[in-house]
Amino acid sequence: MHSKEDLAITAKDIINQLAVIIRTAAIHDPGNVAVTTAIDKLIAIINPLVLEGELILELRGEFFYIGEARIRYSLEYLPNFDFLVREFKRRGLGSVIFKGILKPSDMQAFLKAFISSGPSPDPFETLTDGISEADGLGIGKLRRIRDEAEGGGTQDIRREVKKSYFNAVSFTRGVITKIKSGEKVSIKKAKRVVESMVDLILEEEQLLLGMTAIKDYDEYTYHHSVNVSILSVALGQRLGLSKKALTELGLVALFHDIGKIEIPSELLNKPTSFSDEEWNIVKKHPFWGVKAILRLRGFDATSIRAAIVAFEHHMNYDFSGYPTTRKPIELDFYSRLIGLADQYDGMTSSRVYSRIPMPPDRALSLMMERAGTQLDPILFKFFINMIGVFPVGTLVMLDTKELGLVYQSDAVFLDRPKVLVIMNDKGEKISGHVVDLSEKDSNGKFLRSIVRTMDPNKYRINLAEYLL
Amino acid sequence: MIGLSMELSDDVKAAKEVINALLKAKKTFRMYPETNPMYLKTIQDTHGKFRNFFDYRDELPLKIKQNELFLDSEPIYQNPQKDDNLALFFFKDGLRELTFKKEFSLKELEEFMKILTVDYDKEVVDDDVVTLLWERDFQNVKYHVDEAFLVEDEGYESQAVDNVKGNAPEADDLTRAYEDAFTEENVKDVLIVPLTNKDLHALVKELEKDAYDKMDKLIEIMFELFYQAETKSDYEDVVHFLNSAVEVSIAHGNLDAAISILRKIKDIVADESVSDNVKKNLNLVFSFLGFDTTVKLFGEFLDSGVEIDEKALNEYMAFLDKNAIQPFMTILGELKTIPARKNVINVLIALGKKDIQSLAKGLYDSRWYVVRNIIYILGKIGDRRATDYLLKAAHHSDIRVRKEVIKALGELGSEGVVPTLRDCLNDPEAQIRTSAARALGNIHSISSKSAILKKITDADFMKNDFNEKKEFYEVLSHWKDNDIVELLIKTLKKKSFFRKALNDENRACAVYALGLMGNKDALPLLYKLKDSNNRLLREHTYTAIKRLEYA
Repeated sequence: MHSKEDLAITAKDIINQLAVIIRTAAIHDPGNVAVTTAIDKLIAIINPLVLEGELILELRGEFFYIGEARIRYSLEYLPNFDFLVREFKRRGLGSVIFKGILKPSDMQAFLKAFISSGPSPDPFETLTDGISEADGLGIGKLRRIRDEAEGGGTQDIRREVKKSYFNAVSFTRGVITKIKSGEKVSIKKAKRVVESMVDLILEEEQLLLGMTAIKDYDEYTYHHSVNVSILSVALGQRLGLSKKALTELGLVALFHDIGKIEIPSELLNKPTSFSDEEWNIVKKHPFWGVKAILRLRGFDATSIRAAIVAFEHHMNYDFSGYPTTRKPIELDFYSRLIGLADQYDGMTSSRVYSRIPMPPDRALSLMMERAGTQLDPILFKFFINMIGVFPVGTLVMLDTKELGLVYQSDAVFLDRPKVLVIMNDKGEKISGHVVDLSEKDSNGKFLRSIVRTMDPNKYRINLAEYLL
Repeated sequence: MIGLSMELSDDVKAAKEVINALLKAKKTFRMYPETNPMYLKTIQDTHGKFRNFFDYRDELPLKIKQNELFLDSEPIYQNPQKDDNLALFFFKDGLRELTFKKEFSLKELEEFMKILTVDYDKEVVDDDVVTLLWERDFQNVKYHVDEAFLVEDEGYESQAVDNVKGNAPEADDLTRAYEDAFTEENVKDVLIVPLTNKDLHALVKELEKDAYDKMDKLIEIMFELFYQAETKSDYEDVVHFLNSAVEVSIAHGNLDAAISILRKIKDIVADESVSDNVKKNLNLVFSFLGFDTTVKLFGEFLDSGVEIDEKALNEYMAFLDKNAIQPFMTILGELKTIPARKNVINVLIALGKKDIQSLAKGLYDSRWYVVRNIIYILGKIGDRRATDYLLKAAHHSDIRVRKEVIKALGELGSEGVVPTLRDCLNDPEAQIRTSAARALGNIHSISSKSAILKKITDADFMKNDFNEKKEFYEVLSHWKDNDIVELLIKTLKKKSFFRKALNDENRACAVYALGLMGNKDALPLLYKLKDSNNRLLREHTYTAIKRLEYA
């Protein structure tokens, strides 16, 4: 009998090999020796497992599961994991069921159907028809996590997400107060707060990201720290970082702006633009950040990373930004990642000296222009894939003449998020209902599409009213 | 643990046995290293208890209260004490339920036991039980945590939400938004840049690169902080951080990182454009290397058994100042390994040259072995200033120390030490007497020869042990002077009716010395003795002849 640990290791190989087969079959004929060899390899992995019973490989959200065990992202296989998630989602394919001893002909049929289902208007049906004669295989439709949690369940999850988010903000506020007064800070507790965010990101990424879209809080500093931490962890999760690394990343991000505690509050809360002299003071916070972290924590692995990020988070990919150094410093990976999250949250937030935040889609366009110069282009690609082309909180007009707010991004169809409709096609206010822009009619045409985006601030729309 | 209900069902009994096994294993894990057979046996025994339980049920769900553990509603563990309370151990970090599944493996149990045996009271441990369970991400251990533990301010959420909703303008302008929406520009074709395989591979490389130690990067940043410093307190802060960075680098065995910091500081200090005040601050880092804590860490590093690059070690030593002498002498007596002691001795030989007086204070150390090492170091320094200190130690109570002093005095070769060594020839301990003779031989002066001769010709010398006498004659053989040859021949020819055995011992010593001197003129005389009735004399003569014939 295979232990669960063995299975977890084998599961990574299954995903990798399945991706290899599909990729190879996309180039060669399914009968080609390259494909058949790859199929043989997969069969060699699968068949010993199915001797003990049916094996189901299921995609839930962004992750694959075998039974109830989630298969962890593996850095080694990251490209193939990512590829398979995309390809499954594109076809609405939720699971592959290995019913019994797998034959090469079963896999040949599966591959043929898989390839031909790509351009099909109804890919899942095409796939189902294509494998009807493959005895050893079955498939299941992609289930939407949110659909599974009926009504009350969804509300419970939302409540839990909200609670965790505000817990993190309240904790951050407490920590900063303690640091200011020279008290000791419990890193154990900080870790637990971040771990709880990491868990939510792994399970409910979009809901927690949605929490970062509301920007009009009174205590910008604390919310900003938590938002940057959430955005960074979510991005880190997309990059396949381990849970432990995600905690470290989240902690480091939470303290990226800690140097600001040294900036006089009257300057930090100044409602008008800064003078040059005042800017020079603000620009010192990276130095103060390094000092604050090292004083607080000494030189353990996490504090070293936190100090580096506190120093570099305003430095750009092309060595512009601040602080300037005697010779160009190659930015740390976390600095580039957290710097990206920091920029996005900063641009889309209402700050004391800049009350009107930038609409999220405009912030993203601006960041896209900066990708490759100020911003790491690859990380930005991952970022936009995570946040969607129309991030949560964007005010949109649909081709159905309905007006709505982007409510949740879609991991596969980046330009087809879920939208909370707030005005119907007659221009009447309605109590919002959520529509999924990736939904199609029976002819394979999308039911709704975004035609225009607008700035919710211009129309004094309070996102908190709708999203909280 | 307190006995509980009267009639227990089999599963409850089995669960209690699991808990008892865990408690026992907790103790064993703290006592034995992983390589010890007891360690493995304990895991196997404990796992056996889990398997027994799983004969009755598929899961072992433990409900956790402050001082109790329950299986369903059945208490299986109670402990009102604070110490060694397994329930409290879980409870205090917010853990409220812990469930082991049937597939709970031996490997998982070992990992779980490691979590159970961490010393969480140590300040350096940043993780609590929940964090460690979370990080291990066990496939077959599930847990439930009460997050109330994390809530800083109960009312924060509702207050923040009320505020943010209250920030809303009195009325939004949705109708205008709707109207404007028809006049706004259409969204252009959204450019979605898909992630390519090239991107993913580049990312994998980035992540691999990111796995390296970050200390070097932080060091760069600390020097940036230094160059941007404006106030005295800025400089002091940086110096403090640099000290800590050196300390941490040494503690982690990263000597290269410590050296990199020290090199950079040296360069700055050598820069004429840098003010004296800044230099003074930076020089404090070099002094810091000689602080007790830093030296202690350095000692632990040397003792750790890691292979140490000699070149790096020498470079590091060159940065040390004389203030490091005392702390290095302190750790000299604490080190466990010979290579580590050897390295520290080398450090002290180098540093002692800068301040022999401080080094000599080590002669008053209460640990004889430290004193002996200091004497060795003083001897190796080869400085005649060391002589005075060594002479004082010549009367140390421990014979091993006295021996080392005598050896060092001999190596120093100063004429002034002869009277002391001469006195030592009369020491009650034979070892001291022979050491002194050897030392006098090393000095190789007229007065040292005369001291040896005087001793050998003393009437009582004959009574000494044969080996001691032989040592003296060997020393004497270093002088290849005629008067020595004459003395030896005279000794050889000496016959005695009384104390004949002792006289033959002396003659054997003389034969031995003649052999060592390589004087072939002695051969005819030696041939006559080769059939001596005295075994000692016969054997030594035989050896001396062979030595001379084949010399």
